[in-house]
Amino acid sequence: MEPLRRGVSRRNALKLLSAVGGGLAIARCFGADPAVAQEMPPSKAIEPFTGPGQNPHWNSVGPYVSEPQKAPLILLTDRPVQLETPRSYFQTAFTPNDAFYVRWHLSEIPNRVDLAEWKLKIEGNVNKPLALSLSELMEKFKPVSIAAVNQCSGNSRSRFQPRVPGGQWGNGAMGNAMWTGVRLRDLLDAAGVKQGSVQVQFQGLETGPGPKGSGSNVFLKSLELTDPVLDEAVVAYLMNGEPIPMLNGFPARLVVPGYFATYWMKCLTWIRVLSAADENFWMKTGYRVPETPRGSTTPEAMKAGGVKTVPITRMPVRSFLVSPDVGSKMPAGMSITLRGIAFSGYGKIVKVEISEDGAKSWREAQMGEDHGAYSFRTWEARWTPKTPGNYTVAVRAADEKGNVQPDEPVWNPGGYLWNKIEKQEFAVGRAD
Amino acid sequence: MRLARNSGPSLLRLLAGALLVVAGSAAFAQFHSGSYSSTKADTIEQTVSPLTSSDANYSVSPFASVAPKLAEGEGLAETETFCATCHSTRYITMQPPLPAATWEAEVNKMIKTFAAPIPEATAKKITSYLQTHYTPETRKQ
Repeated sequence: MEPLRRGVSRRNALKLLSAVGGGLAIARCFGADPAVAQEMPPSKAIEPFTGPGQNPHWNSVGPYVSEPQKAPLILLTDRPVQLETPRSYFQTAFTPNDAFYVRWHLSEIPNRVDLAEWKLKIEGNVNKPLALSLSELMEKFKPVSIAAVNQCSGNSRSRFQPRVPGGQWGNGAMGNAMWTGVRLRDLLDAAGVKQGSVQVQFQGLETGPGPKGSGSNVFLKSLELTDPVLDEAVVAYLMNGEPIPMLNGFPARLVVPGYFATYWMKCLTWIRVLSAADENFWMKTGYRVPETPRGSTTPEAMKAGGVKTVPITRMPVRSFLVSPDVGSKMPAGMSITLRGIAFSGYGKIVKVEISEDGAKSWREAQMGEDHGAYSFRTWEARWTPKTPGNYTVAVRAADEKGNVQPDEPVWNPGGYLWNKIEKQEFAVGRAD
Repeated sequence: MRLARNSGPSLLRLLAGALLVVAGSAAFAQFHSGSYSSTKADTIEQTVSPLTSSDANYSVSPFASVAPKLAEGEGLAETETFCATCHSTRYITMQPPLPAATWEAEVNKMIKTFAAPIPEATAKKITSYLQTHYTPETRKQ
């Protein structure tokens, strides 16, 4: 056999191998050419945690775990359950239900729901309180469908510098599904919102052992009644045309297109019209962002105090390179396809661009099918690296409101709103 | 329910789950919640769906419980006992190494914001344990 690389003679390779002891035996075991084996870096196990620097990986670093109705996903925490979706599931516009990420706040989450007892209540400051069974929800109201991205407010929190406490998500705390159910507006109209109402509160079957009135007792979220997002919100009972997995909110889940997932109440059971603003922990203290451009501030400003915050709402524009994954060295001259997804909580994606020189020059990628303004939009671009070397591929998206992904990081104490341009290193080698 | 060949331990797990539900605050008729398996650290099992029937009950097996191994040292017992009342200690190991002041703030947040019933002396012990093993200077595992 001829040595596969110029400049590395077989004799030299053997010399090097004998220096590393077992290397040669292993190389022979696999029938590999020693000259090639010598080039192989030792495989390195991923540490069980990252930091204090940035998490350098696309995903978080937990082990895989199998939970009911789910494919093996990346474990962040087991009680309550928090699971991240591995990168390869984002090659398509719709994320499979069994691979869809999971994020609960409190430990008492349903293992069983009895639909003979369960009713969706519309109550509070309404003329006619309602209690609807799932069958009434499916039959008495006109079904609608919408493709919408559900993304955790803290997606990519492990990129923050300095790091902030909280769920150390990589990029996989997001997913896109076709949600089918009933318009929230139809339900509110059926119950009749009374004059003087200000907010609508959502409560699911998520509770914890904490005392009543504390954030560790029950998870509650509210939206302003004047918020136009209420007209697009849906109480979904189907996810990608199937019942919603228990861990994603069976039997019904609120869908708030364009908004972060904190409002997408799982196992939605109470819709409560309020005549005064919701002061519960999850509105007043949790899930708030600085009222600054991109919700960004500094640790120093936080320490000094006086940073005004507002409840988090819409998702800034983001895009991702999904394939090829890391670890693929490209032979020079080979034409490959870069693939990924883009989305924005502010509306339709109008442009995706890629850069092969670390975000210096850009060219347009081709976008895939349009599934609606709040859906993942797939994109792809052919790339033929001509000369060997190291390349930094970057991707950025723009939405119809003129928002373009910036190349600057975000920092806030909650670890929210990350949308910096994503980059990935590629090594391009010689093909002869 | 678990795989049939594990029916012994799975019965135990169901019992443990039932106890958790009784102990928890969420035992309404319309749903049962908070059932986690008693799986020990790092043995992750596969789950199968419960038996199907045509009634209106929809259930899944207990969620996995995979406690991490925490660093040995003074305050470990207090940390495991008090923190695990509300959440798995994976909430500790999942974090990046955090500065000592951040750990102190986290423990205070659990007590003041989330009303965790931790006596002051114990809280100090827990904070000191976390600062000894989980800061950028000290974290090893």
